[in-house]
Amino acid sequence: MSRRARRAIVNGIGIVVALVFAFPVYWMVNTAFKSADQIETYVPVFIPTPTLANFAKALAQPHFMDFLRNSVVVTLCTVSLAIVVGFLAAATVARARFRGRGGFLVLVAIAQMAPFEALLIPFFLFLRDTPIYGQLPSLVVVYFIFTLPFTIWSLRGFISGIPVDLEEAAMVDGASRFGAFMRVTLPLLGPGLVATSIFGFITAWNEYFYAYVFMTDAQNYTLPVWLGSFRTNLGTDWGATMAASTLFALPVLVFFLLIQKQMVGGLAQGAVKG
Amino acid sequence: MAQSTTAEGQEKAIPRSVAPRRSRRIRKTVGKLLPYVAILPAVITFLVLLGYPVLLVIETSLQHFGLRELINGGQTWVGLDNFRTILSDPEFIAIVVRTFLFMAANVALTVGLGTLVAVLIDRVDKPVRLLLSVTMILAWATPAITGSVIFQWLFDSKLGVVNWAISNLGIFGDWLNHSWFDTGLSTFAIITMLIVWQSIPFVAFSLYAGILTISNDMIEAARVDGASERQIFWHITLPSIRPLLMVLTFLSVIWDFKVFTQIYTMLQGGPDGQTVTLSIDAYIKGLSQRQFGIAAAVSVVMILLLLFVLVPYIRRMTRTQVEE
Repeated sequence: MSRRARRAIVNGIGIVVALVFAFPVYWMVNTAFKSADQIETYVPVFIPTPTLANFAKALAQPHFMDFLRNSVVVTLCTVSLAIVVGFLAAATVARARFRGRGGFLVLVAIAQMAPFEALLIPFFLFLRDTPIYGQLPSLVVVYFIFTLPFTIWSLRGFISGIPVDLEEAAMVDGASRFGAFMRVTLPLLGPGLVATSIFGFITAWNEYFYAYVFMTDAQNYTLPVWLGSFRTNLGTDWGATMAASTLFALPVLVFFLLIQKQMVGGLAQGAVKG
Repeated sequence: MAQSTTAEGQEKAIPRSVAPRRSRRIRKTVGKLLPYVAILPAVITFLVLLGYPVLLVIETSLQHFGLRELINGGQTWVGLDNFRTILSDPEFIAIVVRTFLFMAANVALTVGLGTLVAVLIDRVDKPVRLLLSVTMILAWATPAITGSVIFQWLFDSKLGVVNWAISNLGIFGDWLNHSWFDTGLSTFAIITMLIVWQSIPFVAFSLYAGILTISNDMIEAARVDGASERQIFWHITLPSIRPLLMVLTFLSVIWDFKVFTQIYTMLQGGPDGQTVTLSIDAYIKGLSQRQFGIAAAVSVVMILLLLFVLVPYIRRMTRTQVEE
């Protein structure tokens, strides 16, 4: 087989694999833009005459806007909390040498692997005795511990990546240690803070299990809970279901495209190092 | 540094009094304490929101804790009774075996196909590589719940595009109205397809990043010596990405062992309980049947099994952490 023929075959396989990966997402968006008669046909329509009717229907679902607001509130609170607490710990671990530092890092690593699916029962029993049970803050509490380990881990990596020499130079020029960190390192940390926040955003925004169990009151549902019971809510209205799925997935898809480099790079480095 | 020397120099010139010395000592103590103050919120969070739940699940697993105890309190200690109850239940043993088989199938497919895709990304031309990257990010980024809803639509018996496609291949006959969710195995197949579809990109991207770090000279040299592409893969690429492969396998084990969302939203553990895995079982026994003691025991078994599988990985990670 000539070199060129082999190249063509490899590229051909690449394109087929790409199509397989794209297909489910394409089919969701495709269905979302179809009219009812284009959906209810045995021969599928691959390029629809686009209509926004499904999106209008999804947005007009009872309480859709409330669920959206719940999701946004829970997500933003989780991310802010995790970033503040995580940043304090990450900066300390990255810049200070103190007794117990190694132990703390082990704690973070273990927390990152914790099987929270197996801790549903204790979280339920624990939160049930508090006034926030069934309310949105109980989800913030749970998502906070979900995201904190990664937040510390990731921010620590970004802070370590900024040479400490820069801070020392500022200190020679008369800045205090804290001032040097705030004025030199913090501004350079923008991309790291954004990437880490986006990870927290995605975790909290997507979470289904705890939201499904804890939000007993329908007015406190987040979007995943509502989407999870689409058959009850929308029956077999696949058009509206796919439109709602598209709306829900859209911010995640956009954010993901922004940070995928950091996420992959981070793991590869850490793993090779270990 | 420079600043502190001048400060000290100045101090030497001034007659020493007690006050500055004390303030310096205080500052030194504060400086020493500062790291602990800064990590305190995180430590408290780990203790309260992770340590306490872990203790509570162990405590509850040793108690008789049902609906009455939930309302009135007064749960009683029963030792290992809950564990005896679940472990003598053949249904539970079947669930454990099923969870392991499900996890093994998902991990093997994810890591195996992920490796192939990584090599593929490395071999294709640039435009195809870009296409592959973008489409794989789409799959990776799709939220679990969205993926579950999409796959239910793809495999819908009446209007699903998959049944139409299979029927039109002409090889397998007429599949219109074929119901994928009638048997546990078929339902698991769809859940596995969903999970593998969503998990391959992370594995493939990570491995591709690892492949990029292999020196080109080594591969060129092998090629000059007449090595085939297959030999290069087995003798150069694979050994180089082995540590990475191990980490990715362990991560996949953790993730696929405790899957809840995709299984539960697909068919709530149905048909007839045939897709109930450990995490679904703990949920049903606890939150639906209100047998919290039993459900806690299921959770403890789950944690122990996961720990057992992961011991070598945790040992390795802890070692590197301490070394750092």
